Amino acid sequence: MSLTVALSKGKLLAGSEALFRRAGLPFPNGDGRKLVVPAGELRFLLVKDMDVPTYVEYGVADCGVAGKDVLLETGADVLEPLDLGFGRCRVVVASPVGRAFAPDRAATTRVASKYAKLAAAHFLDRGLGVEVVRLAGSVEIAPGLGLADCIVDVVETGRTLAENGLEEVETVAESSARLVVNRASFHARRAEVQDLVARLQEASR
Amino acid sequence: MTSRLTQVPPGAQCFVGEEARQRRRIEETVVSVFEGWDYEEIIPPLFDYADVFAVEALASKTYSFVARDGSLLALRPDFTSLVAKVAAGRLLEREAPLRLYYSGEVVRYEPVRAGQKSELHQMGLEHLGGEARAADAEVVAIAAECLERLGVSGFVLALGHVGVFGGLVEAAGLAPERVLALRDRIESKDPAGVRQVLQGTGVSSVAAAAIERLTTLSGGLEALDPALEAFSSCAKARAALDELRTVAHALDAAGLGRHLAVDLGEVRGLDYYTGLVFRVFAPDLGFEVGSGGRYDTLVARFGRPLPAVGFMLGLDRVALLLERQGRVAPIPRRSPESVAASELGAGMAEAVARRARGARIRFGNGGWR
Repeated sequence: MSLTVALSKGKLLAGSEALFRRAGLPFPNGDGRKLVVPAGELRFLLVKDMDVPTYVEYGVADCGVAGKDVLLETGADVLEPLDLGFGRCRVVVASPVGRAFAPDRAATTRVASKYAKLAAAHFLDRGLGVEVVRLAGSVEIAPGLGLADCIVDVVETGRTLAENGLEEVETVAESSARLVVNRASFHARRAEVQDLVARLQEASR
Repeated sequence: MTSRLTQVPPGAQCFVGEEARQRRRIEETVVSVFEGWDYEEIIPPLFDYADVFAVEALASKTYSFVARDGSLLALRPDFTSLVAKVAAGRLLEREAPLRLYYSGEVVRYEPVRAGQKSELHQMGLEHLGGEARAADAEVVAIAAECLERLGVSGFVLALGHVGVFGGLVEAAGLAPERVLALRDRIESKDPAGVRQVLQGTGVSSVAAAAIERLTTLSGGLEALDPALEAFSSCAKARAALDELRTVAHALDAAGLGRHLAVDLGEVRGLDYYTGLVFRVFAPDLGFEVGSGGRYDTLVARFGRPLPAVGFMLGLDRVALLLERQGRVAPIPRRSPESVAASELGAGMAEAVARRARGARIRFGNGGWR
């Protein structure tokens, strides 16, 4: 039986493809409608980025490519043997320009984020009892509309923030794409998994 | 409110008919292996004082409640503490080694995900006292026999030793909160994360490299040799590896080598385990089927210094695994003889008589006079 690899359909897909091709590994071709795609000696699952760790944790996929930001948010119990080096970004706190987050007003501060768990931990760990509003997307418009005072979101270039009148206040976490592996597969399918890890490691150098 | 009468709390379990029969069969198989190695059954209490279960890893998961006299009680979140208490209490006079097994349910506050449930059935044993390496090997061999007899294919017993990590960390002189962060990253086999935690701690680059190697040193028994080389400068780590090697070689000599793996990134439960640790994996199940390890300080908490080693298999996980591997054959029920008579007294007499002969009967068809 071939190994199953879970991939994010989102921003990490292009980087994953480049890496797999560099490693001489098969990769699903084009047709974006198929979500379970056998390719060569591997089988691929194309899922939402937040779901990659879940498929791997349950062992439905043996391996996967997930952003560190997503791993921190989901808290999935998976192995992370490789930093693949692409998809670099940062999870940051951003506030409207000139209205930086004030710790002394934490009790009345609302923070909007897709990363609700990460955002809560970031503030609560420092004793700041903010209210976290979970959103599924378009987080950067929340402060302008009065839904939140600041946001916790991912930035690559900072352009989206600037367009929405926001500026970065502090970094919550650094992120990049990681190879994740299911705990049982790591041992029960050792030879195949180790071969895949070695080839991806070589190609990500 | 009425909906509470039909709802099920998340994580609660119920089994009926065929499912229940399959679980009984699994339990019987495992218990027969435990008995075969001369372990005695212990049926510990369902609840005890919360202090008994005060192991850090379980503290946040324990269902506790206040007794009428104001003392804090808890439903058992595991068996090991209870067995330790009994070994140090009413079995105090009994000479070591003590070999005890249990099979029953524990409850834990546990988010329902990837094999975690609030109510779970554990089948396990504890080997208290005796010669340590022999006991370690015995316990792993019993785990292997259980899986073999259950018909699990391709299972792997991943062996580690917390003393390797413990020795390296002690030598590096790291602060406790760093050790926790480090343990978490090693447990995830995340070398990049390990480097990040060690950044700016002043740990020498040689020591840092050795700690990072814990994330990659795993594989077959052959992984022990590079490990001995990598950690040769740390006496405690080397001693731990020697212990691990002794146990692994004994199991290999018994023909279990093909089921063994070495995993030095196995560092969970460090506040509890003191030596060998192992986890059981198999293809088709994404999470461990069972786990075990050596805990030399736990029993002393109860007043009897007694080194010990134990392991447990999760019945729920074994059942799921066997189903996934297509190893579940239906257990046929004998079809019952119908007992009917026109008058209830005569019918009852007939039923009792047939039961005395051992028949499986179905009593009654209504319409008694």
